[in-house]
Formats: sequence, C-alpha cells, structure tokens
Amino acid sequence: MILSPFQLHRPDSIEAALALAAEHAADADFIGGGTDLMQNYKNRLNAKGNLIALNEVAELRGVSATRIGAMERLSGLADHPIVRRDWPGLAEAITHVASPLIRNQGTIGGNLLVETRCYFFNQTPFWRETKGSCMKAESDECLVIPQKEICYAAYSGDLAPLLGCLGAVLELASPTGRREVPVSEFYQGDGITKNVLGENELVVGIVLPDGARALRAGYRKLRLRDTIDYPEMGVAAAVKLDDSSRITELRAATTAVDVVPQFADYTGTCAGRTIADVLDEVADDLQANAQPKKNTALPVGYRKKMVGVFLRRLLRDLADGKSEGRISAA
Amino acid sequence: MSAPESGVVRSPQGVGQRVPLIDGASKVTGSAVYTDDLKMPGMLVGKILRSPLPHAKIVSIDTSRAEAMPGVKAIVTGSGDMAKFGVLPISKDEVALAVDRVKYVGDCVAGVAADTEEIAMAAMAAIDVRYEPLRVFDKAEDSLEDIDPGLKINPDTRHASNLHKEVNQNFGDVDAAIAAAAHVASGKFRFVGVTHAFTEPHCVIAHFEPTGRLTIWSATQVPHYLHRDLSAVMEMPMHKVRVVRPMVGGAFGGKSDPFPHEMIASLLSRKTGRPVKILFDREEVFLTNHGRHPTKTSVTVACDENGKLTGLDLDALIDGGAWGSFGVVTTYYNGVLSAGPYDLGNFRYRGRRVYTNKAPCGAMRGHGAVNSRFAFEVLVDELAEKCGLDPAEIRRRNLLTSNTTTLNGFRITSNGTAECIRRVVEASDWDKKRGRLPYGEGIGIACGFYISGSALRINWNKVPQSTAHLKIDMDGGVTVHCLAAEIGQGSDTMLAQCVAEVLGLPIDWVRVCARDTDTDPIDLGSYSSRVTFMAGLAASRAAEVIRQKLCQAASRLTGRPAEGFDTRQCEVVFLPEPEVRVHYLDAVLEAIAGKGALIAKGCYHDAPKMGGDHKGAAAGLSPTYSFQAYVTQTKVDPETGFIKPMKVWAAHDCGKALNPLAVEMQIEGCLHMGLGQAMMESFGYNRMTVSNPNLLDYKIPSALEMPDVEVHIVESNDPEGPFGAKEAGEGPLLPILPSLANAVTDAVGVRFYELPMTPDRVLNAIEKKERAAARTASGKKRTPEESVR
Repeated sequence: MILSPFQLHRPDSIEAALALAAEHAADADFIGGGTDLMQNYKNRLNAKGNLIALNEVAELRGVSATRIGAMERLSGLADHPIVRRDWPGLAEAITHVASPLIRNQGTIGGNLLVETRCYFFNQTPFWRETKGSCMKAESDECLVIPQKEICYAAYSGDLAPLLGCLGAVLELASPTGRREVPVSEFYQGDGITKNVLGENELVVGIVLPDGARALRAGYRKLRLRDTIDYPEMGVAAAVKLDDSSRITELRAATTAVDVVPQFADYTGTCAGRTIADVLDEVADDLQANAQPKKNTALPVGYRKKMVGVFLRRLLRDLADGKSEGRISAA
Repeated sequence: MSAPESGVVRSPQGVGQRVPLIDGASKVTGSAVYTDDLKMPGMLVGKILRSPLPHAKIVSIDTSRAEAMPGVKAIVTGSGDMAKFGVLPISKDEVALAVDRVKYVGDCVAGVAADTEEIAMAAMAAIDVRYEPLRVFDKAEDSLEDIDPGLKINPDTRHASNLHKEVNQNFGDVDAAIAAAAHVASGKFRFVGVTHAFTEPHCVIAHFEPTGRLTIWSATQVPHYLHRDLSAVMEMPMHKVRVVRPMVGGAFGGKSDPFPHEMIASLLSRKTGRPVKILFDREEVFLTNHGRHPTKTSVTVACDENGKLTGLDLDALIDGGAWGSFGVVTTYYNGVLSAGPYDLGNFRYRGRRVYTNKAPCGAMRGHGAVNSRFAFEVLVDELAEKCGLDPAEIRRRNLLTSNTTTLNGFRITSNGTAECIRRVVEASDWDKKRGRLPYGEGIGIACGFYISGSALRINWNKVPQSTAHLKIDMDGGVTVHCLAAEIGQGSDTMLAQCVAEVLGLPIDWVRVCARDTDTDPIDLGSYSSRVTFMAGLAASRAAEVIRQKLCQAASRLTGRPAEGFDTRQCEVVFLPEPEVRVHYLDAVLEAIAGKGALIAKGCYHDAPKMGGDHKGAAAGLSPTYSFQAYVTQTKVDPETGFIKPMKVWAAHDCGKALNPLAVEMQIEGCLHMGLGQAMMESFGYNRMTVSNPNLLDYKIPSALEMPDVEVHIVESNDPEGPFGAKEAGEGPLLPILPSLANAVTDAVGVRFYELPMTPDRVLNAIEKKERAAARTASGKKRTPEESVR
C-alpha cells in the first residue's frame, strides 16, 4: 500500500507552523512522529494534501521538572532522568505504548492526539468498499450502531488517562494566541470531534503541576499481547495518602472504553479513608461508567468487567507502593 | 547412508554438528536477495483488481477507460479457454482470473500492468465491473445441501452440493468398542481458521523474453509444481518455462500452491513483452490465505478399565473456502494422522471438506493433523481422569512400538515416543507437579505424530521425488544442485551438511544452488516435511558417488587399494595405515585429470511398497514418522482469564539431528506458531470479508508471550533416513496446543473444546464452572451428572 500524495512543509517555529496551517486550512495535518498518521494515510483515511512537520520547531522540545515539550519522543521520555525521578508512573505508562520501535519515533503530543479507533474505520479502502464505509471515513452512517449522529470510534491513547489523573494541563497555541486546557477537560464530543483543539491549533507542551509529584500514579492496560497492541481497555489512577495511609486525593480514568477518556475524581467521597476501604466502591463506579462498544477485538462485556479488575489491582499496587517493574531502576 | 564410527569427525560442520544456517549471515545483514529486491530493465508494476463480493456473477467488465490511461500498458481478464490449475492433479479447480463468476472476497478479476503503482491503482479504479450477487455459502453445513448446479462453487465435482471431498474409513468395530468401554470421553470441537503470517508477502516477477521463453522469479515453496502449472496455463512446453526461486522470507505452507498472481504476471508480461512484478500488500496475503482450515471436529474416545484405548471415532467437517488446493489431502490427514502414536484398537473416520465463499484454505505447518490432534489429546486427558490415571501414564500404556503397523496400515519403523515421554516427565518434575500446583497454575502433557514426507508422489509419474547433482572442478569447491526450496527452514544448510559429511570437507567448500529449474534437478518442493529425508538422501547418495571416485584417485596416487580409503577433514586417508593420506585437492586433480569436472547424481525415488488396500490407503503413508511428547507448565489468571505459559519441555524424535541447532530452531518456531493458534490467532470473517487482514489485528504472539523452552532431541536412528534422520519442521507443532490446554485444565479445572483460548473465553469458562459449583454447594440445583451419583 502506498501513501497518498502530499506536500511536506518543515516550519522551524510555532508561528510558521500555525501560518502554514491557516494557509492550507482544511487540507493540512500537523505531523509529529507520524506513526499513527502515516498508517491512516496509507489507508486513505481522511488524508490531507499538506503535512506540516513539527520536527524542527525547537519550542516543542524540552523536558523540565514541570513541563514536557509535545514533540518529545516517547522512548527518550521513558528514559529521561527527570521523568523517571519525578513521574515514574508516567515513565512506566509510556512503556505500554505500542512497541519500542514505534516509541522511538512517536511523540507524547502525538500520543495524546492519537486518532480514535474503530474496527470499521481502521481498514483498507478495499475492505471498506466491501462493507460500505463508516461515518468517520467516507460515509455518513455508523457501522457499529447504525445511526447518523454519533461516531463510536474509541479514544485509545495510553497516556491521557494517567496525565489527566495527575492534573496535567495542555498548552495550546493558535493564530489567535495561547491557552491552557487540563487534560481531563480536553477530550470532548465523539469519535469524530474528539477534543477541544481548534482547526489550526497546536499542542505545544504538557505542564505537570508541582503538587502532583506527591501522587502515586499508575496505568494498567488490557490487550492480548504485552506489546504492539492498542489498549482494549486501560485504567489509570493517582492517589495521595497521608502519613496514616488515608486518602487525601484520588482520581481514576479509563481509556479505550468510550469515545473519549473518562476521568473521575473520587477525592470527595474517599478522603480520609484507606484504599482498601474504598476499593470496591471506586472500581464498581468506574466500571459502571465504562461504555465500550463492539468495535475492538475483545467482547464488550469482558472489557467492561476488566475495568474493575484492573483498577482494583492498580489501587492495591499503589497502596503497597508497587510498580509493574516494566522499567529498571534509574 | 551412515555416519562413520562414533568419535570420528569427517567434517567440522558435518552430521550432528551445531551449524548456523549458511544463509543466515546474508539475511541478518540485509544482503539476501528476495524477489522484491530484483529490478529488471523496463519492469512494469502489476496489480490485481479483486472482487468485493463473496459470490457473484460477472455481468460485464469494461476495461476501456483504464486501458486509455497514459502509463497503462496492459490489462488482462479471465477467459474460459485458459487451463485450470491446482497443486493436486485430482482437484485442479483454480483459474488465474475469474471466469463469469467471483467466488470469494478477494478473488482475482483483472490484472493491470502499468509504469507505476499509482497509475496501476488509478487504472484499477477505472475498470467497471458489473456484478449480480449470488447466494453466499458461509457456514460449512450449508455447503452440504443439494443445490442448483449453477451455485456449485466448483462445478466439476461429482456432488450435488458444495461438498468437495468425503472420506470414510473404518477399521474394526468402533460402535461395539464404545458400547463395551469402561470409560468414554467425547467432545464437539470448534477450530477457527488460522493463517501462516510469514514475513515476506508473496512476490513474483514474470518476464516473457524475446527468445520466446518465460522466466518467472517467485517466492514459492514448490518451484516444480509452479513450473508444471505455468506450462499448462501459458500453453508452453515446460522447457520454455524457467522458474527461479530467490530467497524466501517464510512460507509455512502458504507458498506451496501455484497461485493466480504467478499466472497473471505471466499473462501481463506476454502481452507487454516486459518484465512485470506483482508484490502483494499484507491484505492481499490474507485474502490469498491457504491457511489452516476452520473445522468442526466431533470425537469420541473409549478405553477399558486399565486405560487401554479401545476405539477412536472422529468426524471432521472442514471449511475449505473457494478452491481445492491441498484439500483432498487435508480431508484425509484430519483423520488418518490420528493413527499414531497410540494403538487405537478400533478406528472410524468421516471427513468432509466443503467449498464456501471464503478465502481458500490449504496447507499450513502440521497440515491436517493439528486440530484433530488437539481434540484427541484433550480427550485422552479426560479419559485419564475418568480412569484415575496420571495423564502421562495413560499415554505410556497405549504407545505403538517400533517396527509395527498401525491399524490403518502405516508402516512404523523408528519410534521414540516412549523416550520422549520419559525425558519430558523427568525434566519437568511432572510427578511432583501434576495435580499439585496451586490454583491458577497447571501442567499438561500431550504427544504428537507426523509424516516425514509422503511416500507417494502427488503426480503419478516416474520422476524421482528428489534428485541432486554434484559438480567439483579443479578449485575443489562442491556445487550441489537440487530444486529443494529453502524457505527459511534450513534445507540449503542440510544439503550442504550432508555433502560435507560424506566428502569430509568443511561446509564452506560446499555451495548450494537450489533455485533454478534450468540448472537444478527436480525435487518436489518444501511441503509435507519431506526435504531432509528425501533431498538429504539424494544429496548424500550423489556425494557417495564422488567419495568413491576420490578414494579411487587416492588409490592410484598411493598404490593402496581403494576400499581402504575414507574422506577425513580435507584428506583422503588410508585407514589401515593412517599416515598414508592424500590431500583432498590432490585427489580431486587426479580424479578430473583427462576427464573433466567430477559430476555425480543421486536420487530418492520412492519408499518401499507399503500400506493397506482400502480406499485412500495411500494417504498419510510416509517412509517414516516423527514422534513428540511435550509437557507445558502455565499460569492462568482466574480474575482476567489470561494464560501465561511459563515453560515447555519439548521432546521430539527426529531420528538423528543432522544439525541440533536447526532442530531446536524448528521446535521453537513450531511452538510459537502453535501457541498462536492456541491462545490468540483467529482468521475471522465479518459478513464474508476477512475481519482482520493485517498483522496488528491478526494477533501472533510476540517474544513476550513465549515461554521458556527446553528442547529434548530424541534420536531413534531411522533405518532409512539420511544418517538416521527424519523430519523436525511440522510434527513439533502438534503437541503444544493440547499440552497447553491440558495444563490450563490442571490450573483452573476447565476443559477447552474451542480455540483460541482467549482470556474472555477462559474467564467465561471459569465463571461458568464456579457458578455450577456454587449451585451444587447450595444444593439448589444439581447437574445431571451429580444427580446420577
């Protein structure tokens, strides 16, 4: 399968990138690592005539104690001393993304903006021809649940749930200026509208609040193989405990079980209690709110059930201070 | 062919040595040349327009718009005049391009040759095909109905339905055995299709040369069968067709048929006079399939109170897809390859393969034997439980011996099953673990049995199954010519080792040319685990002829009698007086003096006459059989249903390991492939379209899913194999699936009748069992079985 034709642009500043985006209006995509986008271009899925490469924009790089540039590669982040020291849960979550080769190329910004996925969408033109196409591709009707209103393609990023639980904030830039949007409020709408990012708007960086360093955070992922695969379901949680192991903050989130990641803040109902005490109530609630649709490999009921199982395990591990051991000691 | 007395090393890379594959370095450094690496002057890009419908009449094809596009050089469509083809002479039902009708999604409708891929794709989009949908045959059962002849997927069968082949075999009285049995276990098993998932997509270059000859470079396991069928379809005598097999990036049975794309490239080249390359994308590989058949298998096994098997009743309904391919053989193998390694007592088999409107199924590693073996071995464990016997012990009690005949007439010579069981039971600490591991951990055992080449040739002629030519000139290098197809399994290395062993040379003196029908004598190809046995014998026999010439030359140079000489590490040594020796090169020069290069040939023609005289008695006959026993230890997460195989002790009787390193690699590769089918692989359909035609959605295990593997090579020294060897490439796949399933049963108490054992299915089964147990405990409702007690 060959790529669809496009013009490649290589701006060296955010302003130049945004100007190109405005110039080409609806016929342009930004490209970070391209590991997601190129596959969709090969499949002729909403391919555009212009690609604006962000490789050479210096402002999109850099890692500090509180900020990660959107164009930072995932492999580099997982190995970065600051990330490993201050955000070990994030470093470990990154190792869940795709495979080592893809992490060498893929960026954290690209991961947050990963295209929503659906069995009926992520297919070749020939395959779609045999089915009649889906509303996210060429048609106006959904093949998951026949109707014309909502696209059920699932948000399937691995990092958004954890970053949202940590209270991370996205820096966005557009021709009209800059703004900040918390990760937990960024994702809105359905499988097509996806998030609040404007037409010509760019994710510049991810800001991690100082206070989040005191949180214990982790991510657990359901998939058939322990590499390569997108999540069939993923849960993240972040918890702060006081000296007597009482909860002072607790947030949890899911991915790949809905059109957008779902974030829940349990601080209000759980503050002052132990993790063991709140385990079932939190896990049952998160599971009850999961709305997986029949558009991935594993059955809907199983994926939903695993929300509870995985969150219980994650919270127990966080209580015990245990990691998954996916990265060796820094 | 035998090795010299023990302790004598003729060649440092000879028989029994751990030799890295001789093409390994070129592969890992990227210098190996695969078909897609070849570029020819003036080469065009070929593409295939495929049917989007599973079953439809072609009302019209209008190629005029496409033909008028700049850069489009030729378009070909089907014609009823073209010869049908297929790997088996008894079911040649394939056409290069659809004639009047398309029979599955992906069926080839038109071929396009153009200057670039972009132009070819645009041309395909401009071809206007009008279809009229026909009734679609999806379920195998539907294909058993009598139908209007116009709906027969293969109109040439003698059946009134879409049945392709039915096999009925009956040995003894199974019904009586089951009625009289102390214990009976039975199950209805369901197997989804799986596919090979080799790395290199199919690729072909055809060049109709100005000389009037056709040369074709193709990623194939069967250059000879391709040669024959190309000759038939192109209506050219075989000597005008040349087949070249560049390096092949994996095949596993998926490149063991002559294919439409090979014919289409040839037709396009004939029309344009230019080389035409067709390279598949991954989706086309899936649509072409020829993988393992989806099968519904009903099995009943009976035994007496001592666990002695008294009967096996097996029924397989096999979904063949749209073409015949190897399907007649598949239909037999689903039954007859259950005839070992156990003495069955009585045996009845009914196999039916049907055509459906799906991608064709064919041969895949372990061809025909894998699904039935799974069912049988799972039920043997159930019998063991009913008898109160250890699963290893019930197997030991039922083994066939060496030098015996199975009840369906297979001649068993060497047989190392008992030793295989002994080794894995001991190494795994089986007796301490079986039934004694904590809940969620388990250990299971299973055996296997497979052919080592088919005793009878596919084509009924007198061409030997394998022939090898050797040539040595004054440089002393040995060239081995043989059409055996290296597909990554190590056949080139095997040929080189056999020759190096006989001639007493380091392996780097030997070069293997096994890729060109113009220069290399016929070997039937790499399928049915035949190459080591047959081509190994052919090459060894040719080398033996040369060895004798070298001994005679040494005799002339030293005045000692030729019979006393043998080849040893680049020398020809007079054994009674070892100080009398001639360097290999001096012997070569003496041997070619006045006569020219040394040449010799050897062949493997046929196995000795064997087998019964019932219908289909020849199916499954092999000059020898391989045997296996595996123990697998696994974890099962009772909350998520995830199976995590921890360790496999894999014992395989390969007769003699010509190259232990290669045998280990084959066993590990078999394990990986079998675990895929057991745990996650599923060639599924969504309303007749392959549901997951890519390697992201078709899940093969990654390195992280692989257990630790401890290989035990058992050497039973086959009396007829080359240096005692028999196959190691397919049989080792068989036991991994049931040994894992039996380990899962040991871990969580549920038995599986359906593959793959994905976590959702495992969890469902566990929960079902727990619900039943809870009902029983509360006394509210008893299961029928409980009520009887």
